[in-house]
Amino acid sequence: MRKQTSLNFRANAVRAIADSSLRGVVKKATGTFSSKRNIAISKIADYESLRKKASAVREDVLENLGTYLDAFSSNATRAGATVHYAVDAAAARRTILGILSSHNAKTVVKGKSMVSEEIQLNEYLGKEGISVVETALGEFIIQMEDEAPSHIIMPAIHKSRQQVGRLFADKFGVEYSEDTQVFTKIARQVLREKFLNADAGISGANFAIADTGSIVLFTNEGNGRMVTTVSPLHIAVLSIEKLLPSLKNLPSFIRLLPSSATGQQITSYVSIITGTREDGEMTGAKELHIILLDNGRSEILAGECRDILKCIKCGACINVCPVYRTVGGHSYGWIYPGPMGIILTTLLTGLANAHPLVSASTFCGACDEVCPVKIPLVELIHKLRVRKVSEGFSPVKEKLGMRVFEATARSPFLFSSGEGLAKIFWPVLGSLGGEDIAGRLPEPVKMPFRRRME
Amino acid sequence: MNDVVKIDKISLFLVNTARAAAGADRLKDIEKLAETILKLVPKGASVFCPQSTKLEKAAIGKLSRMVPDYSSANITVEEVSAAIAETGSIVCDSKGGKSLQASLLPSHHIAIVPREKIFATLEDFFDKCSGSPPTNITLITGPSRTTDIELELAIGVHGPERLDIIVV
Amino acid sequence: MRIQLFGTCLVDSFYPEVGEAILRILNKFGVDVSFPKGQTCCGQPAYNAGYLEEAKGTAEHFLSVFSGTDLIVTPSGSCAAMVKYRYPEFFRAKTTLRAVADNVAGRVYELSQFLVHVLRVHETDLTRNGKVTYHPSCHLTRMLGVRREPLVLLKAMQGLELVPLPDAARCCGFGGMFMAKLPEISCALADEKAADIISTGADTVTGCDCGCLMNISDALRKRGSAMRVKHIAELIAEGI
Repeated sequence: MRKQTSLNFRANAVRAIADSSLRGVVKKATGTFSSKRNIAISKIADYESLRKKASAVREDVLENLGTYLDAFSSNATRAGATVHYAVDAAAARRTILGILSSHNAKTVVKGKSMVSEEIQLNEYLGKEGISVVETALGEFIIQMEDEAPSHIIMPAIHKSRQQVGRLFADKFGVEYSEDTQVFTKIARQVLREKFLNADAGISGANFAIADTGSIVLFTNEGNGRMVTTVSPLHIAVLSIEKLLPSLKNLPSFIRLLPSSATGQQITSYVSIITGTREDGEMTGAKELHIILLDNGRSEILAGECRDILKCIKCGACINVCPVYRTVGGHSYGWIYPGPMGIILTTLLTGLANAHPLVSASTFCGACDEVCPVKIPLVELIHKLRVRKVSEGFSPVKEKLGMRVFEATARSPFLFSSGEGLAKIFWPVLGSLGGEDIAGRLPEPVKMPFRRRME
Repeated sequence: MNDVVKIDKISLFLVNTARAAAGADRLKDIEKLAETILKLVPKGASVFCPQSTKLEKAAIGKLSRMVPDYSSANITVEEVSAAIAETGSIVCDSKGGKSLQASLLPSHHIAIVPREKIFATLEDFFDKCSGSPPTNITLITGPSRTTDIELELAIGVHGPERLDIIVV
Repeated sequence: MRIQLFGTCLVDSFYPEVGEAILRILNKFGVDVSFPKGQTCCGQPAYNAGYLEEAKGTAEHFLSVFSGTDLIVTPSGSCAAMVKYRYPEFFRAKTTLRAVADNVAGRVYELSQFLVHVLRVHETDLTRNGKVTYHPSCHLTRMLGVRREPLVLLKAMQGLELVPLPDAARCCGFGGMFMAKLPEISCALADEKAADIISTGADTVTGCDCGCLMNISDALRKRGSAMRVKHIAELIAEGI
């Protein structure tokens, strides 16, 4: 089981900072993603209105999630799918294993799904003798390297072409190359046979449509289409908040998601899958199972941070985050990195397992600016900081230091002695950083400005 | 007035298909269709076509290497059910026994779009979608691609490496 | 006219010359400056770190010190945003304090806002030679919405060559308490910012927030750069 290492965020970050190759690829990729996003957004007429509209749709969904989930469930069932509600990761894994076992399925091809990482599906199925092949190129690469994804859109963002070249040469016995075209040709060849012969396909979904019971996938490579249409058995896993009310909402999200995620106007493929193959049809799974995963989201929905559930997983906030850019995705220690990752990881795994992450922000606000559904990310991280303090996860030194800070800030006497805040507070700051922070600060002046004003 | 609107839609559609790295052509009518298709098919390439519509039957008129199954074909030639000008997308769906694998497995996809089936915007298309959609509707915009390695674009991964669109 | 000056804790302890520069500018424009005694800090260090009670306590003190009707001017975008947007939230439930907080929030101006919209300093003769690059602080721009005003002031200075800063909107890594809690990341960001600043070939880097400028100074020093770091108040005071 891949262990969460969010509690070691600072140490992870320090290691990442020293890795200049990693920093180089992450900086370049996030910079490119951000520029492409900006260009794509500039081509959308009245982008701000679109954001407001999409934000309102997502808020309506959260406000009425129970109703929309019921509608989705009954419409999907009517169309031939079997809908399963999984309260947690273990339940989801068991359900999926049950479906595969009942079909004696031994080989599975899989499309990218962050939620499937959340439930650690591959490892679990592997132990049960079921081979799962990741088919999205980035996931294919990190599966071979046995690494976790470090970005929600581009899971192998931390890999340089040299690293990929060496990997392909090793695994496939081909001549070393750094050419992306070469990698894709190899992947096409190797995976084609797997697609055609797999017993089952497992995919995620970007959205679920309540009024038709459809699931929607945005993909580029064609692997998503393979996984969802070639095998007779298709299992789709998605988290409960991914709903949209109607197909009529899709245009807004077709405009927002690809542009925010990859800077594309639209992905190569947008697949709308509704139920199972009907009589007379030649496309569609014979059996479709849709797993709706809760895993703590109902609780989040009822709490003060519920706006994070508006997230459409575009990754735009990750790409502009100065902290992510410096330390990469693995530093966050779980699956979701950057601003949305701080919030979702802390809420899903708990402060006890993730509290250092809430400090991993300068509150610069770049994320708020780019979120296509206007999630107040800085405000949510701040709420988690307040909880970190009130639930006892702050160091005692810091709590005392803040009391000293307040006492000093309120005391005319302490100030009239001429020392100012600095002499008292900065040593406290120093003890927090565990290093000579005073070395980074200038010397406090002998005569504070207030004295000159007396 | 209607004609002007239609022409604008078609031009916009063709501009956007090009943006998505699809080849595109526009024909006045069915007359030159077979000849146009012939020019897109390399010597020796095997072609699959469902041959269920008038346009499809006309399209393959000059081709010789037809195969009955898309899994062994190099190229699929087929009429698609709709197109969207705003994004340069063609739409394939599973209605009427159509197989979407035909536009996925072969490395070259040639799509014939009847001009009256072009929608101007995404809203126009989705507003017309039925409340009970067919099992699969896929919007296809350009050939398959990836940028998963250092964000460098590579065209042609698991889906077709080449997409050509003929508006008739 | 008369204003109340909120110097900020950083100006008080580390950069009194910024305070002096503000006085020179305001005196030149005939503005009476009162410096309410007992002023300390806006409370951000506590607030940002999640210590609401301590932040509110500090805010209450601020409100009592800055009572009155005069405009309040402060050389910090982040402090202005704190007072303007957070203070009314703190006291939402307590009616009297809420009214005071609303009053104070309505009176507070960040310095460049005040200089452009109230004093119209950019319409007077300002001269200042040299090549300057400008770092737009995150809270100033994104929380307070002040993007144009500093540039209006800089562009109004005859003889000043304003060189654009690459990737200007990227955070310098100060983040208040962030600098203390995650110093390695803060330094890495500051170093990148310093590299960008040095690449402009400017002789001076300026900004509106002393926290950022302090962080940037440290990073420039580590890179061995002799570039001057000046708050915008200092540049204007030099130029009037």
